[in-house]
Amino acid sequence: MKAKNLLLTALLLGLTLALSVFLACGQPGKAEGEQAPANKIVIYMQMGGTAGDPSTLARTNGAKDAAEKYGVTLIEQYSGWQPEKMIAQFKEALAAKPDGIVIMGHPGEAAFEALVDEAESMGIIVTSGNNPLPKLEAKYQYLGFGYAGAELYAGGYLTGQAMVRAGLKSGDKALVYGLFSQEGRSKSPQGMFDALKDAGLSVEKLDISPEVDAEASLCVPILTAYLEAHPDIKAIGTQHGNVTSNMMAVLQAAGKKPGDIKVGGIDLSPATIEGIEKGYISASFDQVLYLQGFFPVFQVVMTKLYKIPGLHINTGVGTVTPENIKELKPLIEKGIR
Amino acid sequence: MNNLKKENVFLKQLGNAKAVPVMLVLFLQFVCFLIFAPKVFSGYRIYMSFFQTVPPQLVLALGLTLVITAGEIDLSFASVVAFSGFVFSYVFRATGLAFPALFCALASGALVGVINGVLIARLRVPSIMATLASNFFWGGLTVLLCGGLNWSIKEIRNTFLHTLFVGRIGGIFPAQALWGVGLAVLLWFILNRHRFGESILFIGDNTDVARVMGINVENTKIILFTVNGIIASFAAVLLTLEITNFYTTQGQGFLLPVMAAVFIGGTSISGGEGTIVGTFFGMYIIGSLEAGVVSTGIGGYWVRLTTGLVMAASVIINVNIKSRGKKIIDTIKDSVFFKAFKKE
Repeated sequence: MKAKNLLLTALLLGLTLALSVFLACGQPGKAEGEQAPANKIVIYMQMGGTAGDPSTLARTNGAKDAAEKYGVTLIEQYSGWQPEKMIAQFKEALAAKPDGIVIMGHPGEAAFEALVDEAESMGIIVTSGNNPLPKLEAKYQYLGFGYAGAELYAGGYLTGQAMVRAGLKSGDKALVYGLFSQEGRSKSPQGMFDALKDAGLSVEKLDISPEVDAEASLCVPILTAYLEAHPDIKAIGTQHGNVTSNMMAVLQAAGKKPGDIKVGGIDLSPATIEGIEKGYISASFDQVLYLQGFFPVFQVVMTKLYKIPGLHINTGVGTVTPENIKELKPLIEKGIR
Repeated sequence: MNNLKKENVFLKQLGNAKAVPVMLVLFLQFVCFLIFAPKVFSGYRIYMSFFQTVPPQLVLALGLTLVITAGEIDLSFASVVAFSGFVFSYVFRATGLAFPALFCALASGALVGVINGVLIARLRVPSIMATLASNFFWGGLTVLLCGGLNWSIKEIRNTFLHTLFVGRIGGIFPAQALWGVGLAVLLWFILNRHRFGESILFIGDNTDVARVMGINVENTKIILFTVNGIIASFAAVLLTLEITNFYTTQGQGFLLPVMAAVFIGGTSISGGEGTIVGTFFGMYIIGSLEAGVVSTGIGGYWVRLTTGLVMAASVIINVNIKSRGKKIIDTIKDSVFFKAFKKE
């Protein structure tokens, strides 16, 4: 029996090894003649959600492209957008003493301050993305602390304005379905809420639960129920990428036709593209995630090699609408836009 | 011998009543929703929406019920939803053929299940550890293989497979709800009327006794985890067909709701006792809760708090009905009539 178990263990280990070798061989290698610098810059980078989700994919691809271009060893860290995990990941990165650490600003300045102080004192370049940390940025800008990301509040506001332009008027009722309970991620839906309010709409907030945050298809019955309970609703806004992906399914389940409800969202996944093409989604905030991945890596390299101070780059300046979706579609499908 | 058989049948009938409390809780929940949100719950759309979104979770919960009844746990199902969804989408995109994609997806679930089973039954790795590792491994492999990309498979809407599994009967009723019922009926028969189900119950109760009874515990466990892998991959197919998209994180948010449904349904956490009917209604309780609370007009930060309160109330009512039910059953068993019936 023991020998049989040993044999099985060996077999499983062998299978795992073979699979690993097979997968490793399948990875794209460097082009011939292309050589990494002798002392490669090592960067730990927080990517945000989970590998491949619509709110993260283009950021990862941008960071990878920059890493390849500048010969950087990139260590990707995924937190599922959990602020406490982002803090833990910063500590892990500190322990490895890399050349640079790219952080997400979601846990806030108070949570990050001591850790950033420690990193800077160790000579590690720290820069931020997706959610700004203005005090830390001002404090360490001369040491390369920059920001690459949308101004989240402004981005939400911009999307709210695009929804109004799509055909809303003062007095209409609207819902903003967002992560209001998370300080860092509430700025964007708050911006959208304020834009709709400023346009004279009657707006209600609904918080996204952790279950929906993890598996957005669970939002379908919740929003269907909301639409049934509020038949006079004219608009739904969200600043959650995966919820935006499910908005077409929500409206279909509620028996709504394209254009019946003006929908504003965020990010661009294949399902969101289809929703925009078919007219179910009026506008999706484009925060150009690719640049949010590319620029922080570029920043660390520039600071490391040429002592360039932190750059503040606003990547979120537009929305994708049924009018401009056609030309962006091929790039979105490749995970670049 | 004949009397003993009669008694067993009677007790079994009483035992089947263990799903009654959870049915009553679901009924009470919907009565409350009807009172507080009559506009929503007197219409058909909200129910169609539940029938559209609950079935993938229900399918997962039904499979998990068998595993928990056997005294084991399977935490890998969330990643099977992603992995099998990937295999399904990949094969469909590559070939344009839906049925081979279905077959490959189910085979991928079986592969995960059989590896889980071997780790647990042959190598004696505790199921919680083996399937947790499996959850990370298959989830990670999925991201690696698809390069982190989400895929649209909207062309599948034109296939017979789409109509068969997630089409709208009469243009309204989601077919996946019937598949959920069908699977529940099948698994009920397996658990309560088939030798394999009997083996699961014995193993969950006491593995040593199961061995003495002549049950091959190891083989049964391997088959059980393989079946659960296939069931999880079926859930993946239903989900992927419904949303006509594959995304790498699909299924990750199902872990807690699915487990909650199994336990609210009345399946024993320590094994040896499981109820398919209870899980069925438990999943609809969990799956409709948040939407019901939202429809009553509660908004903002109050939704989660209220959802928690309703869930706690459901569990308390469930436990109370159960314990009272047990007392009634005990009273019947101790009654003069029942003793006379036994003697006869």
